[in-house]
Amino acid sequence: MRYVRRGDPDFPERLTRYPAMPAGLYLIGRFPEPEERVAAIVGSRNCTPYGRSQARRFGFALAVRGVGIVSGMASGVDCAAQEGALEAGGRTYAVLGCGADICYPASSRRLYDRICSGSGGIISEYEPGAKPLAWHFPVRNRIISALADVVLVIEAREKSGSLITAGYALDQGKSVYALPGRSTDPMSRGCNALIADGAGIALDPEQVLMELGVEMRSADQGEDPDGWGIRPAGKAKDPENDPDPERAEIYRLLDPCGITAEEIAERSGIAPERVSSILIRMVLEGYAAEDGNGFFSKPV
Amino acid sequence: MYCRVFSAAIVGIEAEKVTVEADASAGMPVFEVVGHITSQVREAQARVRTALRSAGIVMPPLRITVNLSPGDIRKEGTRFDVPIAAAVLGAIGRIEAGRLSGVMVFGELHLDGTVGKVPGVLPGVLSARAMGMRACIVPAENLNEARIVRGITVIGIRELGDLLTFCENGYIPEFPDKGDEAAAPSPERDEPDFSDIRGQPVMKRCALIAAAGFHNLLITGPPGAGKSMAARRLPGILPALSDDECLEISKIYSIAGLLSGDEPLMRHRPFRAPHHSLTPAALCGGGKYPGPGEITLAHRGVLFLDELPEMKRNVLEMLRQPLEDHYIRISRLCGSCIFPASFLLVAAMNPCPCGYYPDRERCSCTDEEIRVYKSRISHAFMDRIDLQCAIRAVSFEELTGERRDEITSEEMRRRVECAAKIQMERFRGTGICFNSEISASDMERFCPLTPESGRMLRSAFDRMAMSARGCHNVLRVARTIADLDGSDMIREEHISEALCYRI
Repeated sequence: MRYVRRGDPDFPERLTRYPAMPAGLYLIGRFPEPEERVAAIVGSRNCTPYGRSQARRFGFALAVRGVGIVSGMASGVDCAAQEGALEAGGRTYAVLGCGADICYPASSRRLYDRICSGSGGIISEYEPGAKPLAWHFPVRNRIISALADVVLVIEAREKSGSLITAGYALDQGKSVYALPGRSTDPMSRGCNALIADGAGIALDPEQVLMELGVEMRSADQGEDPDGWGIRPAGKAKDPENDPDPERAEIYRLLDPCGITAEEIAERSGIAPERVSSILIRMVLEGYAAEDGNGFFSKPV
Repeated sequence: MYCRVFSAAIVGIEAEKVTVEADASAGMPVFEVVGHITSQVREAQARVRTALRSAGIVMPPLRITVNLSPGDIRKEGTRFDVPIAAAVLGAIGRIEAGRLSGVMVFGELHLDGTVGKVPGVLPGVLSARAMGMRACIVPAENLNEARIVRGITVIGIRELGDLLTFCENGYIPEFPDKGDEAAAPSPERDEPDFSDIRGQPVMKRCALIAAAGFHNLLITGPPGAGKSMAARRLPGILPALSDDECLEISKIYSIAGLLSGDEPLMRHRPFRAPHHSLTPAALCGGGKYPGPGEITLAHRGVLFLDELPEMKRNVLEMLRQPLEDHYIRISRLCGSCIFPASFLLVAAMNPCPCGYYPDRERCSCTDEEIRVYKSRISHAFMDRIDLQCAIRAVSFEELTGERRDEITSEEMRRRVECAAKIQMERFRGTGICFNSEISASDMERFCPLTPESGRMLRSAFDRMAMSARGCHNVLRVARTIADLDGSDMIREEHISEALCYRI
């Protein structure tokens, strides 16, 4: 770990443009290059399975095109986006609310270790050993937005730290994108409010890439090992038009926010033994995902 | 003069013969009881002396010594009051000693000479029959219980006077043996029915599979979704008990003092729902002189643990061994006993600490909080749960709307009985009754897979990071699903359904 002062040649130039930036930063790994395009992907810690998969999808798709992903390494959206970036072989930067030597939250250990071993940088304005105090986090958000060229909010409640990041971004004159959600979904209310206030609508990673001035190559569409991002066209038959009507119906009922086998059986009227049997086959084939709590969703 | 009367002490769930000897000889008028006894038995001398006087028997001024043998069995409780009184009566020449030869005696004495009921009469009478005794004298309140045992005369006494009458006449006129009446099947108990639960088809399906193969079941769902309702209805769809099983359960309940006086033979499978604050000893059995715990009281029935993560970790972990072995060995200061514990575990829990996940309007539990909540139950414990199902809250429309055709307990029990019959044929001579008991070594023999189902299990094993035990549990559940389907082979749909109840 090293301490980089303002004025050192390594100190990110982009931070010096804004007021209230720290006089120096602790760093493990490296800062984004001056010419590197950087997107911040932020969102709720207790996001829905849908939010998690979208964060991963955007992180992956942007990183594939060489965009650095900056976030806060929190569980939920932050972590998913950064893991998506690493999966794509890209770089990701984590700005922490504690000392850079502390992995917080502990559940992000794998991510922390991978970043430390050369896939980006761990950045903190706090002394090594500083505890993750609650007030640190909203403050460090100004560094996240300052490092980024564009801020993307995946899922946020009405009152959310992610909206603070978006607020900083607007103050710093950057574009803000938000992933639209259902109007009734409490986890999307913050995003929908941002859109109502004029934020960009992030339907696909292409829009964000365009904003960053990065061209979309058609070849990139196919690079998706886990089926998280854009499903390669023609990989397999579309389960929605499956010849088996029960299978098609179950696939149709799969909810992005998770649905129990119980609810599928009740809504479709299909016998419970058939529902269970078909669901697990779809999980094994990759057409459905299960969140460990018995809730099934479509992998987006 | 010397007199000898037989009684029995309870060791574990069996009764051991105890000989009560009394001797009356010249000397200081002292009443002494010896023979490895607890203070409850020691206090018998006061009860016996007073009860004898109340019955109008004047004790001659003799030195009376009572010994309970064998000396290595600890004698506990008040069951020895009447045998001690009988031995003393014989020793002082009030009754003819030969009258009580081949007779086993139990009962507690009250100061006014009446005889009160005691626990453990049923195993006592059973062992009396096994030892070739000709009759048993039991408290009148325990008479129905004692009459469960065929092939031995049982006599109920209400007071010490009855004992004297019996010794003089050989019978007590008020209590004719009712013959088969006591053993006649009791009318159907008014069990709650599965049709009371609206919707929740997957939960009902899991309950059906659990009952058919005696598999353990975990229901996860928000408060008020019907978890406890389902558990309560599970004993009603289990296969009917055989006569031997009825007797086995009744014996346990007799020792625990929980048998009902009117209907002593337990014809229905027990349902135990202890509160989550229970201690390890209450769950598994224990005490200085080991007694049965909840898992033994739930033997051949259902043990329901609500709010599973609220239970103490050490209590839950104690369940692991009996869940595998179907018995528990309790070793304590004063002995070691084996208690049967073949029970169907039904556990219920909320999906997250607040209970409303994934309803984000009400639930703001983070993934970490949910992980911590769920990690209160160890992985090793979860591995022993064969079936898991997640259910959701019932909506107001479903609650008040028109009742759909819900499956009834009767229909479910019919299907369970069919599957039980198939299992009985399959396991003839192997000493097991249900698919959940198939040992790892017999897996290939009893669970033949088609090539497709083998492939599916293999891919699931790799992708779902299953343990060997987990894989075997999937096979056992799939075996039950195939039995419900009437299929010899375990087909792909049986494996995939079983897999679905594991995640």
